[in-house]
Amino acid sequence: MQVEKFYYDNRIVKQFAFATVLWGVVGMLAGLLIAVQIYLPAANFGLPFTTFGRVRPVHTNAVIFAFVGNGMFMGVYYSLQRLCKARMFSDALSKIHFWGWQLIIVLAAVTLLSGYTSGKEYAELEWPIDILIALIWIVFGINMFGTIIKRRESHLYVAIWFFIATWITVTMLHVVNSFELPFSWLKSYSFYAGVQDALVQWWYGHNAVAFFLTTPYLGIMYYFLPKAANRPVYSYRLSIIHFWALIFLYIWAGPHHLLYTALPDWAQSLGTVFSIMLIAPSWGGMLNGLFTLRGAWDKVREDPILKFMVVAITCYGMSTFEGPMLSLKSVNAITHFTDWTIAHVHIGALGWNGFLTFGILYWIIPKIFNTPLYSKKLATTHFWIGTIGIILYAIPMYWAGFTQALMWKQFTEEGTLKFQFLETVTHIIPMYVTRSVGGLIYLSGVFIMVYNLVKTVKSGSLIADEAAEAPALTKAETHGKQYWHRWIEARPIQMLLFSLILVAIGGALEMVPTFLIKSNIPTIASVKPYTPLELQGRDIYIREGCYLCHSQMVRPFRDEVARYGEYSKAGEFVYDHPFQWGSKRTGPDLARIGGKYPDSWHFNHMLEPQSMSPGSIMPSYTWLFDNKIDTAITPAKIRAMQTLGVPYPAGYDKVANADLMQQANLIRINLKIEKLITPANAEIVALIAYLQRVGTDIKSAPKPTTAAAVN
Amino acid sequence: MFKKYSSISYWVKTLVVVISIGFSSNDAFAAGPPKASELSNPLAQVLLVIIVGLLLAIGLLANVILGAAQVYLQRFKDERKKSNAAKTVAVLLLCFTSTALFAAEVPAAATTAADAAAGADSIAGLSMSSFYAMISIIGLELLILLVLLYNLKKLLAKEAAVVSATEAPEAIAKPSSFFQWWDNFNSFRPIHEESTIDLGHNYDGIRELDNRLPPWWLYGFYLTIIFAGIYLYRYHVAKSAPLSKEELAISLEQAAADKEEYLKKSANKVDENTVTYLSGAADLDAGKKVFSTICAACHLPDGGGSVGPNLTDKYWIHGGGIKDIFKTLKYGWPEKGMKSWKDDYSPVQLAQIASYVKSLGGTKPAKPKDPQGTIWEEKAGGAASDSTKAVKDSTKATVEKKVVAIK
Repeated sequence: MQVEKFYYDNRIVKQFAFATVLWGVVGMLAGLLIAVQIYLPAANFGLPFTTFGRVRPVHTNAVIFAFVGNGMFMGVYYSLQRLCKARMFSDALSKIHFWGWQLIIVLAAVTLLSGYTSGKEYAELEWPIDILIALIWIVFGINMFGTIIKRRESHLYVAIWFFIATWITVTMLHVVNSFELPFSWLKSYSFYAGVQDALVQWWYGHNAVAFFLTTPYLGIMYYFLPKAANRPVYSYRLSIIHFWALIFLYIWAGPHHLLYTALPDWAQSLGTVFSIMLIAPSWGGMLNGLFTLRGAWDKVREDPILKFMVVAITCYGMSTFEGPMLSLKSVNAITHFTDWTIAHVHIGALGWNGFLTFGILYWIIPKIFNTPLYSKKLATTHFWIGTIGIILYAIPMYWAGFTQALMWKQFTEEGTLKFQFLETVTHIIPMYVTRSVGGLIYLSGVFIMVYNLVKTVKSGSLIADEAAEAPALTKAETHGKQYWHRWIEARPIQMLLFSLILVAIGGALEMVPTFLIKSNIPTIASVKPYTPLELQGRDIYIREGCYLCHSQMVRPFRDEVARYGEYSKAGEFVYDHPFQWGSKRTGPDLARIGGKYPDSWHFNHMLEPQSMSPGSIMPSYTWLFDNKIDTAITPAKIRAMQTLGVPYPAGYDKVANADLMQQANLIRINLKIEKLITPANAEIVALIAYLQRVGTDIKSAPKPTTAAAVN
Repeated sequence: MFKKYSSISYWVKTLVVVISIGFSSNDAFAAGPPKASELSNPLAQVLLVIIVGLLLAIGLLANVILGAAQVYLQRFKDERKKSNAAKTVAVLLLCFTSTALFAAEVPAAATTAADAAAGADSIAGLSMSSFYAMISIIGLELLILLVLLYNLKKLLAKEAAVVSATEAPEAIAKPSSFFQWWDNFNSFRPIHEESTIDLGHNYDGIRELDNRLPPWWLYGFYLTIIFAGIYLYRYHVAKSAPLSKEELAISLEQAAADKEEYLKKSANKVDENTVTYLSGAADLDAGKKVFSTICAACHLPDGGGSVGPNLTDKYWIHGGGIKDIFKTLKYGWPEKGMKSWKDDYSPVQLAQIASYVKSLGGTKPAKPKDPQGTIWEEKAGGAASDSTKAVKDSTKATVEKKVVAIK
């Protein structure tokens, strides 16, 4: 048989590795900043682009798409070449992929800090960047499939199954969730509204966790763990079963983010049961990882790389067990909207993604620079510091979440709420402080790694093109009885199609009925479109990221109905492009804020929150008092809404601004009576108009008279 | 390849049959008395889950015993070719019969459970006969489990005897009982036998083994699927578990009942018709405490008003009597920006706050807001004059306090 010589491309691996480290540090610094802002409002610096609502999306996007994204590409570009016994399909595509992705990250940071956001968590980037992401993702896909097609290995290893499923599913998620209608160069409205938008968004959000943070990392675990431990993979059939079960079941679980909301009950129940069924497939990955180390535990004691991997896999097991538990309604009623969720995701991000990435970096960098790691001792130190960081981060957050939820729900014997919302916040501030210390410790561990890696790189030299040889691929021969699954392992295209079919089923069966069957979203006649001024105010609300701390969803619980008012109904959100239900209550729910306080209260509160709520941790929004409403764009906004089906009268875009100014003047006069002076076209006026509207439509609904009921 | 699983798949089939009988009882026995509702009884469901759980345990254990017995049999063949074979066969037979017995009985029992007609008495909403039928199934299952465990112990004892007799020197290096249990629990193959299950795959040096699925993992997976079925059935078919909105109704009802019960026993029964001015220092202090943390945001700490109106002048928008103020606090004037506080403070607390507000009348705030509303005067009449007097008293008291402070 002819043996062919070829070269692995290590330069691209190096580039992705360096980018991983760089963006990891940036993302974690952003995280540290917002962690401090939570208990120290002064750390918002009074500037729009340093305020929590804009920095938090930078933190989440940087960690998910920049840190883990680059980490994933590093792992894929290294392992795929070796598992296919082939160089990447095209060096040019590799370059485009790398620089394109970094460009996306920079554009994301700039636009998010400038307030351009779609208002949908983890999909905040605006439409031009969404398109760029799609293009670069396709470049990655071509490069990956090109490599797979020209491979010199007859069958695909389990890592590659995960890469394929990742690629196709992320493509589907990104395209479906990013349907939006642009009305300017950098702004758009979500194609979906209210309940439907929520369902699509959390179908996406949940599966971003599944197919961006989990499956690709399982794939690279399947390569780097057996390599680092020099042990065979524990069970091939476990790989098969847990892979297919995982990708099929995962996609259904999105609605567990919407338990007790206005989402139809049947969809909520599907979210719950599919989450429960996910335990075993998720754990399949953990078991296959940990059992692979059977017979190598003595090495774990010595080797920091294996230490990182063991803790990463354990954290994966913990959060994939915790996730299904959080999907049980009785548990979710306590944990949702609290810091419990924050603790949960950070076990995943810091433990699973972070530690696996560190382990792989410590493994890859010495390999491609052909030199031993500068200091094993420092790596071990990093491991212990990181572990302490995770513990110090997670425990206070679990504690804070649990405490706050119980405080929210507590009633006095007289049947009144025991605690004001703000009391429940100030109570857990010590926990917030501890959390930021935990984060700081974790980050200092990363700095130790940076030093260690820099030293390693300096002492070695990059093997840009690593020589390898393998026989050319001949027609796969089968000797005797083969495992049935071997068939598809030799057929990447079929594998792609099967994966697509499996992941499309769950999403389709949940979304199509919600979109098509009217009874799922009963309409409410008194719910009307927003006025132009309110619409402008709503866009300011989205721009400042209010939804990151304030939910707009009163759940049907006794305490929430007592605290906020009538629970939210599906029909109330039909004109909300995008929905703003939120996922966290650092501040109180705002679904019924309209009419609760006078205009002057909001005016003072936005200028200095502590003046109206002493002890509040909300930042000031002083720039809203100077900025002018961009009325030039009002007609375009109205037209976009009309296209999306919001029933403004025909030609309303031409008169919208007149209505806007009229309403703004009323608010200006209202404020003037209270001796608060503002021009009518200040942004604060629009925001007040929006806040005073939220959740009020339902109150004007004609109520069935009690007389009629008596008669 | 899945030969070892033939017995497991057999159990799974049995399980499916049992479950389907359980679930289909609605239709299958629809002609009988109304026991369709029995399955939606939470107790019945708990019992059913226990039954299924035990079934799984039995299946698992039976599988282990069969495996152990086979090993044992093999050793017998190897070592003592002919003798004692009959005994082994007997053991094996015992295993088979007990498992077969169970397989035959459980569906039958399940049927009886579903078949049980309406008894006059009931336990937690479950008819006597159903309850006892299910309990006896559980008892039977426990019995089978015991028998199986006994068999297993016997087999293991024999094995241990053989090991200690033949391989005494090696026995010293035996792992601790926990690790043994752990290895069994996961169906681990000994590491030195690894080469026998190497699949011969080689991906960049990575080999793959063909280890069996850890049994607890597999059965756990089945359990979650069963859970999913029962969950959906309960919430959306039998409708025996409350959906979100029903849950709310239940908790509100409960809260109302609790509150009524509490109010019956306590002296906290104040409302806008019975409230009077509380002139006690303790009451006013309690009122002041809430006022200065909560109300002060809009009315300022001295009551001079900012977002909300001035509370110290004679002008009132919604009336300045103690009853009016109480009413304003309790129900609020939402359209004017005053929220209702009845869910935040108890009636007594509201009375305390109202009294404190009333006591502010006539004081001189630092920056009084312009008057809003109309001049309000206490109306003539017994109760009203009382409260007016009280106001005067308290005003006097405040003035006196101030004088003292100045001195």
